[in-house]
Amino acid sequence: METLDIPILSLAVAFILLVIPVAISVRYGLGMIKPLFVSIVRMSVQLALIGIFLKYLFRWNNPYVNTGWITVMIMVAVFSAVRSSSIKIRSIFLPVFISFSVATLTVVFYLNTFVIPLDNVFDARYLIVLGGMLLGNSLRGNIVGISSFYKQLQTDSKHYLYVLSLGASRREALLPYLQESVQLALKPTLASMATMGIVTLPGMMTGVILGGASPEVAIKYQILIMIAIVVSTVTSVVLTILLTERVCIDKFGILRADVFRN
Amino acid sequence: MMKASNKLIEFKNVHLAFDGKRVIQNLSLRINKGDKVVISGKSGSGKSSLLSLVLGFIQPDRGDVLFDGVPVDEKTVWAVRKKVAYIDQDVSLGTGTVQGLFDYVSNLKINTHSGMTLIELMKFFHLDINLFLKEIRQLSGGERQRMAIVTAILLKRNVYFLDEVTASLDKHLKKKVADYFISREDSTCIIVSHDPVWLDNSVVRVFDFEEKKWRH
Repeated sequence: METLDIPILSLAVAFILLVIPVAISVRYGLGMIKPLFVSIVRMSVQLALIGIFLKYLFRWNNPYVNTGWITVMIMVAVFSAVRSSSIKIRSIFLPVFISFSVATLTVVFYLNTFVIPLDNVFDARYLIVLGGMLLGNSLRGNIVGISSFYKQLQTDSKHYLYVLSLGASRREALLPYLQESVQLALKPTLASMATMGIVTLPGMMTGVILGGASPEVAIKYQILIMIAIVVSTVTSVVLTILLTERVCIDKFGILRADVFRN
Repeated sequence: MMKASNKLIEFKNVHLAFDGKRVIQNLSLRINKGDKVVISGKSGSGKSSLLSLVLGFIQPDRGDVLFDGVPVDEKTVWAVRKKVAYIDQDVSLGTGTVQGLFDYVSNLKINTHSGMTLIELMKFFHLDINLFLKEIRQLSGGERQRMAIVTAILLKRNVYFLDEVTASLDKHLKKKVADYFISREDSTCIIVSHDPVWLDNSVVRVFDFEEKKWRH
């Protein structure tokens, strides 16, 4: 199966479809036209740039450059995850960075070493693309995980203090909040996995098939990527909570007010 | 020769401010083992902060808080919390069923309780045994308060911090609760309350939180 390239002009024709959401927005006064176009433009520009960038990244395929780029990707993911919580970025940047790196890189290198028959585990095509996929999912999980963990501790603070007064250890007192946050963070991933192939035909598979691979190969990659996503999401959410908790909760077991943004 | 100390809790020149507002200024206060102390003062004056200081929920800006002769700090506070039974003003028992709460409490490493005493105590405080299967949020204010009291007693600790524990009880039960704690000779009780039911006897000492001195 050949990959059918899309001529640039034809791609422009795809943009004509946007007339539909614009018309709907006008008809129902959704006020969505500006945010829609901002997002469309951002998406197009970012992808165009990354397309060019990846072309060179694949051409050079230099382990150092690849490692450098994945570090940048992790840093951006960490910033977005922390920014969506109510905690100051400088308080927990490092613990979240460690959590994301450990969770993503362990899984990617495991796959690149033991599952995909690669000569070079730093191969950009696998390191960057797989890493990005896992990071994106970890990010989604962590946005839910961190926010819910600390928000619950804040809104439930009276009960949390009561539990401490009962003589609970730090671990015992925090465990219910950890459990709830991790379960919450993992729900979307588990739900989409359970309906995969029937309801969701995942982006990666669509891309691989359209890109010319056979469905059999696409499915094998998809199974592999879903396992990797679950493993790295659970690991990163739990690690993030465990590592940030050491910073955000003092030695008395009390949430520190000074790590939160006002 | 050192005399065995009778002191249980001591505040030494304690200063505490909240959001720039002075709550406690240069407070020194000593509570002995077996004392029954009522902390009295207007609501919102920060009386409860005395209990929070001993439990390490807040730290003084200056001064020391001692428990059993040891300063309460990030290391010792965990042991202090295992010696005190605390009932907070809002009776924050959490969510889930009453049974779930007891299971949780008795599963904490430090705690053990026997089923017999639980049922006896519930009867003693006029609580229907069927409450056990209810959701905590279905309980009335008074029922929640008494459940918290039962929980605290089951912890079998010698020190009780009781923050407004009689607020939503009727006259008869208020008396019952107050008498129960005041008559426990071996227990130390610090009671934050402006309920006159606690003052009806000669054992209790009253500390005026606003004047910062013993009333009698």
